[in-house]
Amino acid sequence: MTGLKLVFMRRALLILFLGLSYLTSDGQSNEMAPVTRTYAIKNARIIQAPGRVIDEGVLIIKNGIITAVGKNIDIPAGARIIQADSLYVYAGFIDGLSHTGVPKPREEDLSKKVKDPGNPPNDIAGIEPQKDVRNMLDPSDKSVDEMRRLGFAVSHAVPHGRMLPGQGAIILHAGETPDAMVYKQQVSLFSQLSGAPGIYPNTVIGVMAKYRGLYRQAEQAKAYNARYIQSAAGMERPVSDRILEAFYPVIDKQLPVVFKAEDVLSIQRVLDLKSQLGFNLILADVKQGWDISEKIKNSGAKLFLSLDLPEMEEKKSETDTTRAEDKKEEVRSDSDLEKQRLQARKDAMIKKYYQQPALLHSQGMIFGFSTLEAKSKDIRANLSKLVENGLSEDAALAALTTSPAQLLGLSATMGTLDNGKIANLVITDKSYFDKESKVKYVFVDGKMFEYKDEPKPKKNGDAVKVAGKWTYNTETPQGVHTGDIIINGEEDDYSGTISSTVSGDTNDLSDISVDGDQLSFSFTVVIDGNAVLIDVLVTVDEDTFEGTMTAGDYGSYPIEGERTPEK
Amino acid sequence: MKKYTTIVLLLLFSLVAQAQQKGTVLIKNGTVLTITNGTLEATDVLIKDGIISKIGKGLNAPKGARTIDATGMYVMPGIIDAHSHIALDAVNEATSPVTAEVWTGDAINPMDVSIYRALAGGVTISHALHGSANAIGGESETIKHRYGTVDPDVLRMKEAPRTIKFALGENPTRVHGGGSGIVPRTRMGVEAVFRSSFSEAREYMKKWDDYNVNKNKKGFKGTAPQYDLRLETLADILRGEIIVHCHSYRADEIYMLMQVFKDFGIKKLVFQHVNEGFKVAPELAEFGAMASVFSDWWAYKFEVYYSTAYNATILHKNGVVTSINSDSGELIRHLYHEAAKTQKYGGLSDNDALSMITINPAKQLGIESRVGSIEEGKDGDIAIFKNHPLSIYTIPMMTIVDGVVEFDRENDADDMRIYADPKETIDVTLHETGHAGDRCMQDAEFLFHE
Amino acid sequence: MKNFKYIFLGLILFAVQWAEAQNAKGKTGTFALTNASLVTVTNGTIANGTLIIADGKISALGTDVTIPEGAEVIDCTGLSVYPGMIEGGSRLGLVEVGSDARTRDYNEIGDVIPQMKALTAINPNSVLIPVTRISGVTTALTVPDGSLFPGTAALVNLHGYTPDQMYAGFEAVVLSFPSTGKRGRWDSRSEEDIKKDAEKALKQLNDAWEKAVAYYQIDSAIRAKNSKENMEYYPEMENLLPVVRGEKTLLVEVNAANDIKAAIEWVADKDVKVVFSGVSEGWRVAEELAEAKIPVIAGPVLNIPNREYDRYDRSYANPGIMHKAGVKVAIKTADAENVRNLPYNAGFAATYGMGKEEALKAITIVPAEIFGVADKLGSLEKGKIANVFVTDGDPFETKTQVRHLFIQGWKIPMESRQTKLYDEFLEREPGLKK
Repeated sequence: MTGLKLVFMRRALLILFLGLSYLTSDGQSNEMAPVTRTYAIKNARIIQAPGRVIDEGVLIIKNGIITAVGKNIDIPAGARIIQADSLYVYAGFIDGLSHTGVPKPREEDLSKKVKDPGNPPNDIAGIEPQKDVRNMLDPSDKSVDEMRRLGFAVSHAVPHGRMLPGQGAIILHAGETPDAMVYKQQVSLFSQLSGAPGIYPNTVIGVMAKYRGLYRQAEQAKAYNARYIQSAAGMERPVSDRILEAFYPVIDKQLPVVFKAEDVLSIQRVLDLKSQLGFNLILADVKQGWDISEKIKNSGAKLFLSLDLPEMEEKKSETDTTRAEDKKEEVRSDSDLEKQRLQARKDAMIKKYYQQPALLHSQGMIFGFSTLEAKSKDIRANLSKLVENGLSEDAALAALTTSPAQLLGLSATMGTLDNGKIANLVITDKSYFDKESKVKYVFVDGKMFEYKDEPKPKKNGDAVKVAGKWTYNTETPQGVHTGDIIINGEEDDYSGTISSTVSGDTNDLSDISVDGDQLSFSFTVVIDGNAVLIDVLVTVDEDTFEGTMTAGDYGSYPIEGERTPEK
Repeated sequence: MKKYTTIVLLLLFSLVAQAQQKGTVLIKNGTVLTITNGTLEATDVLIKDGIISKIGKGLNAPKGARTIDATGMYVMPGIIDAHSHIALDAVNEATSPVTAEVWTGDAINPMDVSIYRALAGGVTISHALHGSANAIGGESETIKHRYGTVDPDVLRMKEAPRTIKFALGENPTRVHGGGSGIVPRTRMGVEAVFRSSFSEAREYMKKWDDYNVNKNKKGFKGTAPQYDLRLETLADILRGEIIVHCHSYRADEIYMLMQVFKDFGIKKLVFQHVNEGFKVAPELAEFGAMASVFSDWWAYKFEVYYSTAYNATILHKNGVVTSINSDSGELIRHLYHEAAKTQKYGGLSDNDALSMITINPAKQLGIESRVGSIEEGKDGDIAIFKNHPLSIYTIPMMTIVDGVVEFDRENDADDMRIYADPKETIDVTLHETGHAGDRCMQDAEFLFHE
Repeated sequence: MKNFKYIFLGLILFAVQWAEAQNAKGKTGTFALTNASLVTVTNGTIANGTLIIADGKISALGTDVTIPEGAEVIDCTGLSVYPGMIEGGSRLGLVEVGSDARTRDYNEIGDVIPQMKALTAINPNSVLIPVTRISGVTTALTVPDGSLFPGTAALVNLHGYTPDQMYAGFEAVVLSFPSTGKRGRWDSRSEEDIKKDAEKALKQLNDAWEKAVAYYQIDSAIRAKNSKENMEYYPEMENLLPVVRGEKTLLVEVNAANDIKAAIEWVADKDVKVVFSGVSEGWRVAEELAEAKIPVIAGPVLNIPNREYDRYDRSYANPGIMHKAGVKVAIKTADAENVRNLPYNAGFAATYGMGKEEALKAITIVPAEIFGVADKLGSLEKGKIANVFVTDGDPFETKTQVRHLFIQGWKIPMESRQTKLYDEFLEREPGLKK
């Protein structure tokens, strides 16, 4: 935890140091107070809700609230006027589940500190249902800006972690302090079927058993507490247990469990837990629900579909197809046919992901979207894919606005552009679902964020800067490994070292090379008395990287890292 | 090739059946190996709504029912594998020497293509066992190979009694003693784990009994013992509600567990692998413990160095109910051949050899009233072979579960995956070097620090 | 302390082995197998024939054979005589207990180490050997394992007490061809990484090969000039030299289809004797293999298909598909303790398309030809080494019993530790009572 604090402090110092220039970058809320908190959006195509459109309408915002919307509305004199001719105005989008605003804590391999892996302390095992995401929010986390740029004004934010990471809150994507961001606290108990590396519960069967055990114990403790409150005298004092107490509102059905359940089997495992234990359930980040929609519907669970979609390979360019046609005359080899067949199956599978929202919508299911696993840069393209694959724009809009508002109990204040609602807006130059459209303004909680042209993408092929100090972590079956990577020198002449907090060793790097945003290097470690060459290949995105680490026959593992800011 | 593609496409959309199906089918004129009632030449078997309704000659198919001509073919009960880890997303919760609270039923993966490959070897039921990393592992699930669904519930054989996995010897001692530095590190420690676990469970049961007696008395101020899923399961073993399937190799440890069970009054016991079972066969028979063995695996670790492929024969001739199991996604595809090895190693009769993969494993799983032989009233689980199933030249032609044809060599496509991997790279060839191996220690490899 | 413990354990292990490892002695002499069905493999089946074993060789066979004086006559009425089966690639003798590193001798440290010789490391007294041979497997290729050039494999007969007594006249330098496949279910390398790794390994292979060729050229130059110069001590190159010369076989372990294609390409411009081993996806590239005229040793046949989407019976059908395409196919178990299942691997291949006759050849005469020992092994022919087994039926059929066994003319007792345990424990004494 202290490490995390340090990061915050460094960031704060940096802000002080750089002064305002850091904060007035594109799309950022101006540190200087706005001239007025009244805005008038004029002459816009206002989509109040799916299917409810006002052409050339006016929308007035006052003190963070929508105070008027319609045609022929008087514009208050004190309003800042936004000429929105030909622009589209939507209600700000609501993200059903994400880590927005919650910086990822540095992974430490705590499992090594555990003496008995079968009986680890709860925090190390990933059992922390008493934690509150409010204590982890960072308004300056870049995810807030990234989501806001896309038109998302609100997130259901949950902590990072494993089986029971803590309680979620509804947050607005604006506000200078964590508290200012929070719209509604303790709205869910976040759960996942993820085990802890090397310690109990490690596998899905361990997690399921532990979940049942905790839940039953909480029911029992809760009942005893109730008895105790009625007639304490003579009864053994119930011992306070924050883990079990966190389940009490769940047992009372005042707090829903939000479960991350991506694949078709995880979803059904979670539904099993629900039917056995009886809690209210929000299924989130669902990716493969198409074959079990009936089962989901019958369970009464609320549903958020993931905006992380598998990518379909681009169709071959024209020259390739013509060449392929030339070849048609030749007899195709069996392996070509096999490849074709496999590609067709794979594409058909991917199509199922793309068509899922349309399918579920046609079955009368209500759902929102969640972005727990989605990369922000893919989200708009993915939404377009869903629309291209049969989801009507109205249905897509509903899944971004009215449906999540309804599912999360926010309809009174969010989800549509109506009088009295919180001023969360997205303003685009074309229909949002048009690939060419651009987000021009986003209002969150009445605060305006203006977006000029998108920053130019990096010049293709330019080698990224890798020199400096990085921290990394990688999760292997042995547990989490962390340490530092230091890279010195310049292009074509790099040198460096990698350290491991697990082994305490520091090794030299070899073959360091940078190709565009790809960084690769190798190093040698000794495993079981054998020297094993470890190859690392990562993609660098400014101050973070992601990729794989391959340890010979021992396998490959994901690795990610973060640049350590220079002092 | 075109025809082929169409089949694949058709399968794509028809495979994902949701509900558990029951079929009606008439198998005509086969040589019926009933197992419990001899061999019936040129006999028909009628399965109606998933149940064998009639065995005899000249039977007529009900309207609309499929008729299968089995002339010249051998018709036997669906093969049952009492030890398998196919169709599981997790096998070992290897972090603690006792994990009675976990259940492989939570990890059923109905989309594992191994299920189909097992069907292609005539296997209709397998015992999806927890692994052998822990002295007391998890509860396990008996599954029917109803392939073509994404719903794990469809696979569960609801009539099957509860089972749990135990383990002796090298695996638990290496994982916990060797890997984590906690008891057990020796076979002495393994025994101690059982004794302390069952003693604790006894105390737990007693506390609950006391609580239940007193809780409704007026002015009761006491508290219930804290609910403990692990002890609940152990208590159910003591109550005789769960069949224990124990991974074991050496004669001494096999004998030890029987003594422990005698002391705690536990009777339902099946030893798995039990490579040195032959050394204590009279004792196993006397206890009433059963044995589920490999046909010929040995020497892959020290505790199986003093094994013999005659194990099954010796056990059988000493009166122990014995089955041949696979513990492997490879072996499960030819258990009929593994069973035939009891003829090479000990000269068992055809019926005795086939019992080892049908009625005997059914007894070990407590499902012999439903499956394991061709009898009227039993489930319509059937495997049809070209040539005698114990011959090396046999070919499984068709496998039927609950009257539904799940495998048909003449009409099946190559690619039998239910879901394709959206991230698979078409050009990369997957090659797993070495043997398919047993998966008993899957999810536990990381705990070997040696 | 720890070391001490291991030494102690080791002592126990060996003590136990000494106590149990004795086998009844083999018997040499002149033997006459009479009234037998002689399945020669190369010359059809001789009904009611006689086969004479003398001086370690098959000295005569046929229906009109005079039994030498003093010969031990073994009446084989109703029985069949077969040439000993040849395992095309195992670890037999190089490992005793699979999980115990102290008994594993097939995997030395290093990438280019052809000087690591299986022949001298094979344990003639391995308990695994009698277990194997009494199933009719008389000869096995024993192969080191590892990366790139892990050593030199040796063909041995499964009876004898020294390498010289066991050696069956063939050695091959092993090459584990760089794989472009995934390494198993943990392997999450991207397609690019896999490609890169494969390229790296291929480069390493080519570098080593280039060196070997240079070494060969210098060696040839020295020879041509009859120079007295000595080559520097360089055991790696010394052992690759006969391969480059085309004298010694290169045994290429390769499995995935892409790798097989790459390996075909790699050997195409090299004048070397080569055989592919493993070849689990040979069915995908059978035409290419046939065209390249590269013989293969396929197996294990009892294996699951490499890929999830492969037809379930691909491994069974693989030898047959390759054979039909015109590839010369031998079969192996690739096992150690269960090389005894060689006839069943061949039996499954026979059932799934190869046919009985070809499958029998694939574990007798074909491997003998591939290994260049067809003049000595692989069939019942006059003058060949007397590696022979006698059965009461089809050797592929599971229930068939092997009744007699001869290796290099020695009559081998039909026992192993496994049969002895059977004898001891079928009716244990004392039984239940003390």
